[in-house]
Amino acid sequence: MSPLRLALRVLRVDRRTRTSTILTAVGVAVATGLVLLLISLPYATQSRAERTSWQLPDVAHDGAALLFAHSEDFIEGTTIRRIDVASTVDTATITLPAGVPRFPAPGEVIVSPALFERMHELPATQLADRFPARVAGTLTDDALAYPGQLVALVGHTPNTMPDSVTSTAGFRSAGDAAPDSMLQLLAGVGVVVLLVPSLVLVASSSRLTAARRERRLAALRLAGATPGQVTAMVAAETGIAAVVGALLGLALSPALRGLATFVPWGGGTWLATDFHLPPGVTIFLVLAIPALVLIAAVVGLRRVVSNPIGAASAHPPKPLRAWRLLALPVTGALFFLAVTSDNPSLETVLLGLLLVVGSAIVVGPWVTYAVGRIFVRFWRRPSGLLAGRRLLDDPRGAYRASAGVVLAVFVGSMALTVMPSLEGMSGHDGTDRDGVLSVSTTAAKAGPVAAQANARLAAAGQQARATIVGGAPADVRVVAPTAGSDVETVRTALAVSGEPVFSPDVYLAGQQSELDDIRRVTVIGLVAAAVLAGCSAAISTAGSVLDRRRTFGALMAGGTPVRVLSRALRAEAGLPALAATVGAGAVGVAVGLGLFMLVQDAHEDAAAVLTPWLLAPVVLGLGVAVLAASVCTPALNRVRAEPLTDQ
Amino acid sequence: MLAGRGLVKRYGTQHALAGVDIDIQPGEVVAIVGPSGSGKTSLLHVLGGILRADAGEIFLAGTRIDQFSEKRRSELRRTEFGFVFQQGMLVAELTAEENVALPMLLAGAPRKQATATARDWLGRLGLGGRAGSRPGELSGGQAQRVAIARALTHRPKVIFADEPTGALDTRTGKETMDALLVAAADAGSSVLIVTHDRELADSLPRTVVIRDGRIADRVAV
Repeated sequence: MSPLRLALRVLRVDRRTRTSTILTAVGVAVATGLVLLLISLPYATQSRAERTSWQLPDVAHDGAALLFAHSEDFIEGTTIRRIDVASTVDTATITLPAGVPRFPAPGEVIVSPALFERMHELPATQLADRFPARVAGTLTDDALAYPGQLVALVGHTPNTMPDSVTSTAGFRSAGDAAPDSMLQLLAGVGVVVLLVPSLVLVASSSRLTAARRERRLAALRLAGATPGQVTAMVAAETGIAAVVGALLGLALSPALRGLATFVPWGGGTWLATDFHLPPGVTIFLVLAIPALVLIAAVVGLRRVVSNPIGAASAHPPKPLRAWRLLALPVTGALFFLAVTSDNPSLETVLLGLLLVVGSAIVVGPWVTYAVGRIFVRFWRRPSGLLAGRRLLDDPRGAYRASAGVVLAVFVGSMALTVMPSLEGMSGHDGTDRDGVLSVSTTAAKAGPVAAQANARLAAAGQQARATIVGGAPADVRVVAPTAGSDVETVRTALAVSGEPVFSPDVYLAGQQSELDDIRRVTVIGLVAAAVLAGCSAAISTAGSVLDRRRTFGALMAGGTPVRVLSRALRAEAGLPALAATVGAGAVGVAVGLGLFMLVQDAHEDAAAVLTPWLLAPVVLGLGVAVLAASVCTPALNRVRAEPLTDQ
Repeated sequence: MLAGRGLVKRYGTQHALAGVDIDIQPGEVVAIVGPSGSGKTSLLHVLGGILRADAGEIFLAGTRIDQFSEKRRSELRRTEFGFVFQQGMLVAELTAEENVALPMLLAGAPRKQATATARDWLGRLGLGGRAGSRPGELSGGQAQRVAIARALTHRPKVIFADEPTGALDTRTGKETMDALLVAAADAGSSVLIVTHDRELADSLPRTVVIRDGRIADRVAV
């Protein structure tokens, strides 16, 4: 019988193998879908950067054909990207960016559809008056970062251009675009944070039948099957789940990308076409993920292949050595060396971070083993005894069950250390007062700017008036107070100069928007990681009950109530999770403080802010672990229905 | 001590028990023999309260127990009955001593008391030196004696043994059976043993033959 036919036969007759295969396929599908999404993030940011490349000056190419100025304006807390241009040559010779219908003539403005809508919704004195009266067209999505972006392309003569002008050969081309480095960094972290629980989910699912499969394969080896035949059988069994899962993940991918387009970043959502992957990358990933699962399954077989009798019989566990504990201080020291070096590079810091995360694979099982020893020594209740012995017996397997939770808690603690500290730094250290808008200009222009602004304010019926402040000829400012409700009218009046209108609140709004972006993506990533980790922990718990179903069946037959066993098993899963999550939380805070030191280098007065919220990932992680452990009750009820049968 | 009257147990359309009457006296040792599928294990499980009979009555020391709720039947199994199964069904990660102590611990006994009782019973069954060994480190006979110790710690009124020597060779099986009978006598327990081994059955004071779900023969030695 061929390995594939044997695998299909086992699937047909064995309900538990079927369940395990389905769960493995689901795990592989989730992993594939997430990896395809996360790997597409750099491509998405690249697409966005390419579309908006023209909104920045082309400083790489010398020339004088195009005079270019760009600034940020605000309307009701939303950023307007304003681009002022003037041509010194025939405009027909200037290559227009995609999505820009024509070069605006002096006195014309081309706006994005969202800005056009706002200009018609609000009184002209609050927005439209900031731009020339003639709207010569609208930009299409090809010229915008996201569909709702507010952009104005204002045409000038060379003489009416704002002061901050750059002479260039033309618009910046899409090829010069650079993707968002922060989102790339988060995508990289996301791949690790979400891929690990996904793979743990796959491993937990396949462990559901591991003991049973080991016995079956050992029997086949004892009956004369060669190692190659046994390996082929496992490859066929796992391959069915892995290939089906990868294809499911591929099918799931558009839906995940569709959801991702709704997540705002950098001020707006995404175009559906942003999240694309080159076909070669897609094919590589869809082949690589099941291949990795297959390799893991075959490597896990080495005990059966090398010694079938050993696999079929019990074997005392080997104690883990304490040297494993050194991995954390060693990698921690390397990480802190990386962040405290004179010129820390992103690559070095990321490598250090990766090493700290990787050290968990070495340290985690030893900590699990040590916790097991403590339980075995000091247990007072059967749950402590069962937990301790199980941890001592298979510390790697026990740690694997909580690895996803550990990673989620680590990253959550790290994020909650860094983010409040960054928020503590946010603010404005200039001399501007709240409620005052200002425009920087030259001494020569200040008078006309103030006069024009006041004329507009008067026409709009405003009490506020613009005044000139400052001494040096090149550093003169026209300022106007606002009373809150008139802020957009005052801003529009000052915008007459074409220079950016500054106020502390919009500066803070920009900072807040960036922090909101990071917080939103972090929360989404952590929730997804927690759900995946919870699922894998639940499957591990169910697997541990089913592995011992005959024993538990015997205990129930002997009169032990399900609730007593259930309580013991919940504690068995929860107690090690408590130790693991507390440890992961502490390391996460330490690494978060290390990352914050990078920021402190640039802002010496910045201080880390540690809030009680740091306990949240630990509590959440523990909650997920305890919730996942509660599946032992239905699993035990299932065993109770057939207490003394193997299946 | 334990009596079954008109016991019926069906699985779908199949009658595992088709009206069985049986009496077990205090301290009595009874073998139940019969071909595969004759209803031996079903009878053991019904009398032991693991399965509920579809018809019939069960009495323990004069009290009707077949109508007890699952909760009360569990309590009965925990306090009045002891069970020994073919494979021992020990927790692989626990030592012999911990395996024996586990039911007492789950019932709320303190660690010190449970482990002391476990050590005592392991000593009586000749396993004093293997208290710290795990099931995988014990021979089949030793593991089965650990299971016997686990079944006897609370001095049950009746011990139900389902093929207790089925996985052992003849000599080890006999040694294990001797250990069970001595320990049961020490605890004052009745013993009901399901076995395929006719020689073993013949060596016991009383044998009940069951065929097609009915008592076919009663042999008193």
